[in-house]
Amino acid sequence: MSHTKDKASALQQGILVAVYLAVLTGLEFFVAVSFMSVMVLTVIALVKAALVAYYFMHIYKLNAENEGDHDSYEYKTGTNRLGLWLFLLSDTFVFGGLLVSRFNLLGMERPHLNQTLGLIVTCVLLLSSFFMNRAETSIAHGDTKGFLNGTLITMVLGLGFLIGVVGLEWRLAKLEDVIVNKDVMGGIFYMMTGMHAFHVLTGVIFLFLVWRNGRKGYFTQEQHWGVEAAAVYWHFVDLVWIFFYPALYLIGKVGL
Amino acid sequence: MKKIFSIPLIRGILWQVIGLLIGMGIVAGIRLAMGLPATGPYLVTEHAWVFGGFLGTLTFLAGHGVMGDWFKWWRGEATSDHHEDKPGWEKYFGPSLDHKVIGIQYAVTGLIVMILGGTFALIFRTELALEGMQFLKPAQYNTLMSMHGIVMIVVILLGIGGMMNYLVPLLIGAHDMAFPRLNSFAFWIVVPAAVWLLSSMALGGIETGWTGYPPLSANMKIVGQQMFFLAVFIVGWSSVLGGLNLIVTVVRMRAKGMTAFRMPIFVWASIATSLISLTATQLIGLSFQMVMFQRLFGMGFFDPAKGGNPVLFQHLFWFYSHPAVYVFILPGLGIVSELLPVFVRKPLFGYRWIAMSSLGIALVGFLVWAHHMFTSGMNEYLRVPFMYSTLLVAVPTGVKFFSWTATIWKGKIDNPVPTPMLFTVGAILVFLLGGLTGPPNATVSTDLHLHDTYWIVGHFHDTMFGGFMFPFFAALYYWFPKATGRRMNETLGKIHFWLMTPSFFVMSLGMMYIGLNGMRRRIADYDPALNFQPMHLVITIAGYLIALSVLVFFINLIASLRNGKVEKGNLWNSRSPEWLVESPMPAHNYEHPFEVVGEPYDYGLAGSKYVEFAKHK
Repeated sequence: MSHTKDKASALQQGILVAVYLAVLTGLEFFVAVSFMSVMVLTVIALVKAALVAYYFMHIYKLNAENEGDHDSYEYKTGTNRLGLWLFLLSDTFVFGGLLVSRFNLLGMERPHLNQTLGLIVTCVLLLSSFFMNRAETSIAHGDTKGFLNGTLITMVLGLGFLIGVVGLEWRLAKLEDVIVNKDVMGGIFYMMTGMHAFHVLTGVIFLFLVWRNGRKGYFTQEQHWGVEAAAVYWHFVDLVWIFFYPALYLIGKVGL
Repeated sequence: MKKIFSIPLIRGILWQVIGLLIGMGIVAGIRLAMGLPATGPYLVTEHAWVFGGFLGTLTFLAGHGVMGDWFKWWRGEATSDHHEDKPGWEKYFGPSLDHKVIGIQYAVTGLIVMILGGTFALIFRTELALEGMQFLKPAQYNTLMSMHGIVMIVVILLGIGGMMNYLVPLLIGAHDMAFPRLNSFAFWIVVPAAVWLLSSMALGGIETGWTGYPPLSANMKIVGQQMFFLAVFIVGWSSVLGGLNLIVTVVRMRAKGMTAFRMPIFVWASIATSLISLTATQLIGLSFQMVMFQRLFGMGFFDPAKGGNPVLFQHLFWFYSHPAVYVFILPGLGIVSELLPVFVRKPLFGYRWIAMSSLGIALVGFLVWAHHMFTSGMNEYLRVPFMYSTLLVAVPTGVKFFSWTATIWKGKIDNPVPTPMLFTVGAILVFLLGGLTGPPNATVSTDLHLHDTYWIVGHFHDTMFGGFMFPFFAALYYWFPKATGRRMNETLGKIHFWLMTPSFFVMSLGMMYIGLNGMRRRIADYDPALNFQPMHLVITIAGYLIALSVLVFFINLIASLRNGKVEKGNLWNSRSPEWLVESPMPAHNYEHPFEVVGEPYDYGLAGSKYVEFAKHK
């Protein structure tokens, strides 16, 4: 489907989806500070996740027909794609388990965190997803320069997110008495953000390898499974944060 | 010396030790720099052991060479699609990409580890034979009992890994698994994990049973506990990646004409198994990781004093560990359905129902975990729904039994009965006992009495033997000629069967008997007044007889490997494609691809045909 579109409209679609996601994030924040409904926040998160899964991760490609020669690049890419998505499904159970633990242990309480910083890192990650999509769209239309720039910006934003969460938020939280070994509140906060940050870090490393190989001219318009894999993985990390952000920052009252 | 270090396995283990030491050094150094104590009762602190363990696992994999092609890809170098293995035994110690080699690696490693797990059982069974403590300390008893549990689970995972890796690509007509490197990786990651698991015995042992429930597991200040968690976490990755690979292989690489309902039953069973191990395994990994972090960083997940909840661990743990028992049995039950029609020369009864029942068991299996927790203090209203969902598992399992009975009905069985058929029938009988003793544990009212008694021990040994051990042996006897071109000795095979089966029944029925009378599980000694001692002695003797029968099997295996009767053709008169080509299987499987033109199990129907080989390549 994405190949039938010309490059300009594909990029335009990316901008549009990113704007939707930004608006929904703002809406989330507004709901949280005004009338705080878990139901509404869940629905918004699900809508955001669906947008990312469809327009950024191109989940529909799993359904693509590619009969014919089993040794062709297209067929192998389809096989790889299925493998990657199964891995993400498996990973979903880790993050799902963490969310279950968070609600089981903390209920409707949440750690005392810096709301401004939370919103900023969320936007940084969203923006990185947008540039990742741009990079992938570029290489799919043969624009190597656009692809390299997009990947580089994504990496920088990913590192920015890591600095924001691990470098700043962890310190600020500690000042607010969210401490690893003090109580379960601290335990859950550091476990969830830590596990997510680990995935962001692996994503950045993955992107770096793709970027370096891309500079060597390893990827072409027809053959760029590596880029697609890195992109899908990156968007997945973003998708996880779509659920972690409300679970850690928005839902419930600040606990002691 | 140089020759020894050219063997990847040896090189890997050497690197594992180096990695462990480096990791320990790093953590100890950091702790010293921070002014914290760096040494502990086990040389260094737990942090150093865990980090060293992680690093050692990575250095094993890097040093062994199983990730070599990936490193090349990351550097942007291309690699050839498929490496040829050199002929000879060396390939079994290295990162081969051939699914048949990997399948044999899995199965043989499983058998070797099985000797260890069985030995642990014999040691503590000997202790239990007489009342009072004879030669073990309680802590040693606990360690052996826990190790027996977890080691046997690893054996089963390796065993099913072996069967699925070896058979599924052959059965579906693929030249290999979808991701050969991942396949090799998934096997080799078990080796460092097994080293850590066994090392825990030297590091204070594990005293919690294989379930590792906190708060006990979180408060036991022994490093062995931590290495156990680490090892299980790593083995979990093998399960996840193996399951992923298998699903993709079946979805993408089937032969022409092999529609969903023309796939062999074993492939259906493997899919069902893999769906569970792909997804649910992450939850045991997560729960063990959380206990590890609780021990390392004082995170209070399962510590009530910090607002944690120990029951949460049980939910996370059983969300994997109950479906896991279906991971253990589904491939075995698939083997039974696979072999039965061959030996009774009749079509498999109700093919579609059998195919769907595997998936049914797997899916219902996700909804039953809390039946392990009826006495845990979880919310009481949860008990009844979990009771009903558990009893529901009996329905698809019943479908299987119905089909097997109907398949055997009026079948023509060779006389003398071939060994694989003996083990298939043995599997059905033993699993029947295991199945019938299940519902009393699923029913809340009876489980409150039966929970944590030897009855449960008897029940699950029945399901594991019926669902894994017997079918595994059946598969080994059946496919041994395919892998080696030689046949296993029938007489020794029959001795194995007729020694193992009655002993097993005596053992498990004896366990259930004393369990009903109140014998607790997991304890090192029992009250003489309860009068369990005679039965414990009987169970121990039966246990030794089972061990003896397995010894006969090993003798048979090694002897037949050297001088077994040469069998290169279709000795079981099977319709399955792998038997229609000469044994042992060539490196890239089928020289001429085949097309599926009929139903897989139409044995005894005149003119029916399952596969047709293409004339040319």
